[in-house]
Amino acid sequence: MHMADALLSPVIGGTFWAVSAGLISWSARRVTDESDSSKTVLMGVLGSFVFAAQMINFTIPGTGSSGHIGGGLLLAVLLGPWRAFITLASVLVIQALFFADGGLLALGCNIFNMAFFPAFVAWPFIYRPVAGEGRSPVRLAAGCVSAATAGLLMGALSVVIQTTLSGISDLPLHTFTLFMLPVHAVIGIVEGVLTWGVLAMVSKTDPSLLSGAGTKSKRRGVATAILVASLAIGGLLSWFASPLPDGLEWAISKVAGAKELRPSPEPVHAYLSSLQQRIAPLPDYGFRARPSSGNREYAGTTFSGIVGSLLLLGLAGSAGLLMRRHRSKDERR
Amino acid sequence: MNVRIRNTALAGDRLRIVGEHPLPVGDAPAILILAMFVLFVLSVPKYDLAGVIAFAAFPLLLAISSGIPAGALLKRIAAVSPFVLFMAAGNLMLDRDPACTVAGFTVTGGMISGAVIVSKTIVTLSALLSLISCIPFHRFGAALRSLGVPGVFVTQLLLVYRYSILLAEEAGMMQKARDLRSFRGRGTGPVVTARLIGSLLLRTTARAERIYMAMDARGFRERLDEGDPRALSLSELPLLTGAFLLFLTVRYFF
Repeated sequence: MHMADALLSPVIGGTFWAVSAGLISWSARRVTDESDSSKTVLMGVLGSFVFAAQMINFTIPGTGSSGHIGGGLLLAVLLGPWRAFITLASVLVIQALFFADGGLLALGCNIFNMAFFPAFVAWPFIYRPVAGEGRSPVRLAAGCVSAATAGLLMGALSVVIQTTLSGISDLPLHTFTLFMLPVHAVIGIVEGVLTWGVLAMVSKTDPSLLSGAGTKSKRRGVATAILVASLAIGGLLSWFASPLPDGLEWAISKVAGAKELRPSPEPVHAYLSSLQQRIAPLPDYGFRARPSSGNREYAGTTFSGIVGSLLLLGLAGSAGLLMRRHRSKDERR
Repeated sequence: MNVRIRNTALAGDRLRIVGEHPLPVGDAPAILILAMFVLFVLSVPKYDLAGVIAFAAFPLLLAISSGIPAGALLKRIAAVSPFVLFMAAGNLMLDRDPACTVAGFTVTGGMISGAVIVSKTIVTLSALLSLISCIPFHRFGAALRSLGVPGVFVTQLLLVYRYSILLAEEAGMMQKARDLRSFRGRGTGPVVTARLIGSLLLRTTARAERIYMAMDARGFRERLDEGDPRALSLSELPLLTGAFLLFLTVRYFF
């Protein structure tokens, strides 16, 4: 479910970078306040555990394919939301920087999609109410499957929304959603079953591990609930927003006879208006119109552009070779 | 399969050319230049293939000067690109408006925008891998600290990196032991695997306790890196500005 740089616009990527950086900073402050260095080591080793556990593949019955555990919900149960978020974020950073899974700008989106939802939404609002302390096997199973599935579905929906808002892909929102959600629902159920299996074994062998997550204060829960509700309303319910004019537009139409006031002919106003149209990521709350096919005058400009680019590549390659020779000379000295 | 490649890569990475990166700046400014580069590449419009090709000059320069094997680099990028290829194929299928004709062959808008998506992926990821592969991990942590990343997070990154090698080896041995005892795939389903992972988890937490006791005895107090992070110096500002102007020029002219 890793989002890729190439599918993101700088505005969307940058926004989610800022959101994820803020969440990391907030979580880091919470962890520092607790000042428990034994848990810091546990976080580090459990992050490595997620990497290692992903090596162990299992056969998915009836499909002939194989899968591996994701580990998001498992970490949230073992470490609590703040520490789990930081641990998951660190795993995603290493995956992005050393294995190119995702990309640098997409890192913000990936941390939000794959760490925020399991740690701050699925664990406190689904797993904890359903599974409780994890003593009842049925409740533990129900909590794991429902929380893992919901966490994954929210992440997948978030990928769809980020991609659509970026406007790079031509896949329509509903087609992309219909493709992503069923696949991730199945993956989520398998992830939930696996998480349940691990936790059931741990609860029998070393139940003290399951109490590491601690409890959340009510006020913080309310704040997260408001945040989640805002995202849901902004992201989903806005699709059903009324196309009728709002109060101001209605009033203007009654006074001026048109829904919007005519723009001023002043050159400064015209310039600012065109600048706004050019830089606004979502002009008039919609995506930018695609250039009409009939007007694409590509052949000449594209050819000359590609030739120029290839020349630049040649220059860069030669410069790289020269630098390499220079470095190897220095090393020999 | 993909994951196995990743973890063996952690255990002894073939792309790691640890030493000095080719940019004439410190690690932190190099990471900032990389971030700037990615932003400029992604700002290229969806039908502007020439613009993306022009930006490929930067990763090409990095890869050649650092001596990173191109095959390993491309293999790593290919392993993580199925989602991007799917999205590019979506553009290919959905946008069939003719854009131009080359030697009697009609090139559609989807072909161009799909090629732009794939090219952006190759360009940005090869720049990322070419640069990061040259920076030793402890120096990468110090660079993050000097960029203002919280110390807890940097310590976490260093610990995850350090112990992944150890645990990956252990997980690999467990998987091999299970597979050797399995006939016709029996016992490789989710139930047995969950127990295996549970067992690895218990071993991991026991190991964490031992590690903590050893680190505590050596005076560990929440941080692995020593000393205050070096802030970005004013002397690095002209180079950062130069890189920005260079990327801006490429973006403007191509």
